[in-house]
Amino acid sequence: MPKIQIVGRSYPQIDGMEKATGRTRFASDIKLAGMLHARVLRSPYPHARILNIDTSRAKALPGVKAVVTYADTPGIKFGPRSDDWTIFADDKVRFCGDEVAAVAAVDEDTAEEALELIRVEYEELPFVESPLEALKPGAPLVHEDHPGNVAAEFKVEAGDVDRALANSHVVCEESFYTNQTYQAYLEPMGAVADVDLAGRITLYAGNQIPSMIRVPYAKALGLTLDQVRVVLPDYGGGFGAKMETNTHLVAMLLAQKTGRPVRHFNTRHDDFIAGNPRVPMYIDIKLGADKEGVITGKEVKVIGDAGARIVYSQIIVATACYRVDSLYRFKNVRAKGITAYTNTVPTSCFRGFGNTQATFVLESAMDILAHKLGMDPAEMRVKNSIGPDSVSVHGWKINSCGLKECVEEATKMSGWAEKKAKKRPLKGIGLSCCNHVSGNRAFAREFDGGAGIVRIGRDGRISVYHGESDMGQGQKTVYAQIAAETLGVPLDWVSVMQVDTDISPWGFGSFATRGTLMGGNGVLAASKDAFIKLAQVAADMMESNVDDVVCEGGRFYVKGSPDKSLDFKEVALNATDSNHGSPVMGTGFYDPPTVLPDPKTKQGNISPAYPFGCQIAEVEVDPTTGKVTVTNFVAAHDVGRAINPMALEGQIQGGVAQGLGWTLMENMVTNKGKVANANFLDYLIPTALDMPPVEPKLIEPYEPNGPYGAKGIGEPAINPTMSAITNAIYDATGVRITELPVSPEKLLAEMEKLKGSHEG
Amino acid sequence: MKIPIEFVVNGEPQALFVKPNHTLLDVLRDDLGLLGAKKGCGEGKCGTCTVIMDGKPVNSCLILAPRADGSDIITVEGLADGEPHPMQKAFVEQGAVQCGFCTPGMIMTACALLDEKSDPSEEEIRLALSGNLCRCTGYAKIVEAVQVCAQRIQQDKGA
Repeated sequence: MPKIQIVGRSYPQIDGMEKATGRTRFASDIKLAGMLHARVLRSPYPHARILNIDTSRAKALPGVKAVVTYADTPGIKFGPRSDDWTIFADDKVRFCGDEVAAVAAVDEDTAEEALELIRVEYEELPFVESPLEALKPGAPLVHEDHPGNVAAEFKVEAGDVDRALANSHVVCEESFYTNQTYQAYLEPMGAVADVDLAGRITLYAGNQIPSMIRVPYAKALGLTLDQVRVVLPDYGGGFGAKMETNTHLVAMLLAQKTGRPVRHFNTRHDDFIAGNPRVPMYIDIKLGADKEGVITGKEVKVIGDAGARIVYSQIIVATACYRVDSLYRFKNVRAKGITAYTNTVPTSCFRGFGNTQATFVLESAMDILAHKLGMDPAEMRVKNSIGPDSVSVHGWKINSCGLKECVEEATKMSGWAEKKAKKRPLKGIGLSCCNHVSGNRAFAREFDGGAGIVRIGRDGRISVYHGESDMGQGQKTVYAQIAAETLGVPLDWVSVMQVDTDISPWGFGSFATRGTLMGGNGVLAASKDAFIKLAQVAADMMESNVDDVVCEGGRFYVKGSPDKSLDFKEVALNATDSNHGSPVMGTGFYDPPTVLPDPKTKQGNISPAYPFGCQIAEVEVDPTTGKVTVTNFVAAHDVGRAINPMALEGQIQGGVAQGLGWTLMENMVTNKGKVANANFLDYLIPTALDMPPVEPKLIEPYEPNGPYGAKGIGEPAINPTMSAITNAIYDATGVRITELPVSPEKLLAEMEKLKGSHEG
Repeated sequence: MKIPIEFVVNGEPQALFVKPNHTLLDVLRDDLGLLGAKKGCGEGKCGTCTVIMDGKPVNSCLILAPRADGSDIITVEGLADGEPHPMQKAFVEQGAVQCGFCTPGMIMTACALLDEKSDPSEEEIRLALSGNLCRCTGYAKIVEAVQVCAQRIQQDKGA
């Protein structure tokens, strides 16, 4: 085999210059001939019965082409994982922002004006904002068919937790709360829907799961799966939020009613109040260790807030219950998770998928135990670290694992030992580790894996088709690198095609840090298939055996004789002509060795590969204001073999920024059932001024299940950030943060309390 | 109902009739088909709509279209002069582009900064870019790209 040339090198995104010159057509840039514009009327109440909707005046407004409500839908209940959705509110609204009616008009001004002409009579109902309140007897019911507002329950147990905790030398028992945050991708959610004469809908939507969204959407509209086609344009970020949303269905329904293309994008305000923000969680933990700092047992209770309907919150709560158990050599664990309905915005995926919340809690508890034991928190992590070629308490098979190396590198880079030894007033350093997955079998139930198609045209141009989603992370570039490497051609001979469900393979999409491993393995398999087919033609042309043929830099040659070579493009031309115009088509798939967890024992193996990481934060606390400044940050991540180091660094730096924002700034505030800060003026995310230097470090153990040895990075990049910062705050002030975010007022009050207790 | 305005966009004079409630961003995107400037929030907080107006970076979503009368506008489409602008090259090469939705606005702000000050400090770069949100990159590679571009322009001047 020729030496690896393209995989492992930093390349700019293959379409980066299109983006930098403003040529990229994002989802919200799409304009179709005759396109109408839609706006949605949303509920102003968290919980109310709809007595009457009068749309007559709106319908009469010139320029309005359709006004729709629940009565105009097939009335089918649907949902990604539960049948608790309707396209518009049925007999009652369940949160402020719930869809009540929508208008399609010739322009946005007219659609907006029409909304004001719709009259809705409501009867306000008692509502419930908090999952703790929702679970109390007698609480108002969000869905009448879900008594007690329990949306889902999850239990997992392994070993003997009670005995382990009873026999522990130290136990940390603490309650934590992680708040609601907003993904804040810069392009709001939305879509353009078009319909043909046969009633088949094409949806142009910036979306992480272009194949999967078809299933609930087809059901909602009473269509068969083949009647919903999804085309995936470039789009401005997702971070977990851009999955199923009624925002798309509004456009689809209005396209059906008008027979014209309909554009519907959330305003930023609507995106805040009716997007898919992070699942808030109350997490109680008991974590024990022996004298040596070896973890004995862990018990966790999680109460998560689903909001008014389930998107993926119940799987997120389940993930928070046990994914983190594969970070250390746990033997005794027990967790119980309850997902509760409330009259608030439905919550869902946000980078980390419950493992962020759980990591914040576990890694805070680890810090508490290390201090109780007088042990170096870094040493305690290394001591308990799961290792390569091991099996976790839930049966997960860890192949590659660079966790210890991550801790070693991060501590070295940050000068950990020195800074930890020297107590500096109001300055602190904190450490946190993390694990994650590269694909989630518990999420992709029908089958697991990824597929690709590689087409080599008569001109030698290579087109790669995949079914995942590039939301900006650079997935297309990674696929191009894998194909170019496998085929032995320069990178710029490869195009990675837009996902079109009429053409592309069925892919589960980009979530669960699965794009590079699952989709990449699919593209790899298809590239190998195409290579063999073309190499056979080259072998025939060179009167050689196909097994002896290699390709390097776009030239085929027989091993050992690189001087006598054939142009790849000439071979492609020959191959197509001898097949009367049929291009060389490589197809392939990846069937990962994952095991769906047993419903009872939860034993399984949810991912073919597990990434790890260690992050260290340094902070300074202003004693007069309580303001925390992160002054330095290092992030060492086990990514398997890096395919594109620069892209990986960008993922890490971006993940840390989101984690820093969550820890210190970001909080969706709900007041009387309404999101009180639904705009970028009141909901602040980090700017260039808020970010310290973030130094990434790639740890690269070869992962046998990864394409060219690679694992994923998307979510692990944020998992440890919150606890790295809050552990640093503890180091600086002695205040243990148990609730996110850390506001200056709260921290100052806690510092005053501590001072008081010391003086007293 | 509509108001006549005349202005110059990327060097080309334009005479248009605009709705008085429309913004410069609406006019650029809907009337002139210049889709490089984006609508990320519509309230002047995200910076994705940044264009250069009479030499200064502005949030085009906050400028009512009639106010653009008589102005000189440069959008991201007007930066490339046959080949991409050095700032565009630096952004791509340094990995400062992820989803790319903030990129046009970010580049316009960065270009305006270097027009004003050819060798800004890192702090000055961060301050200048603080009105442009990016949710993907954590800003590290964006700041590097601006620094690289500034150095290259300096070197070209020196050569």
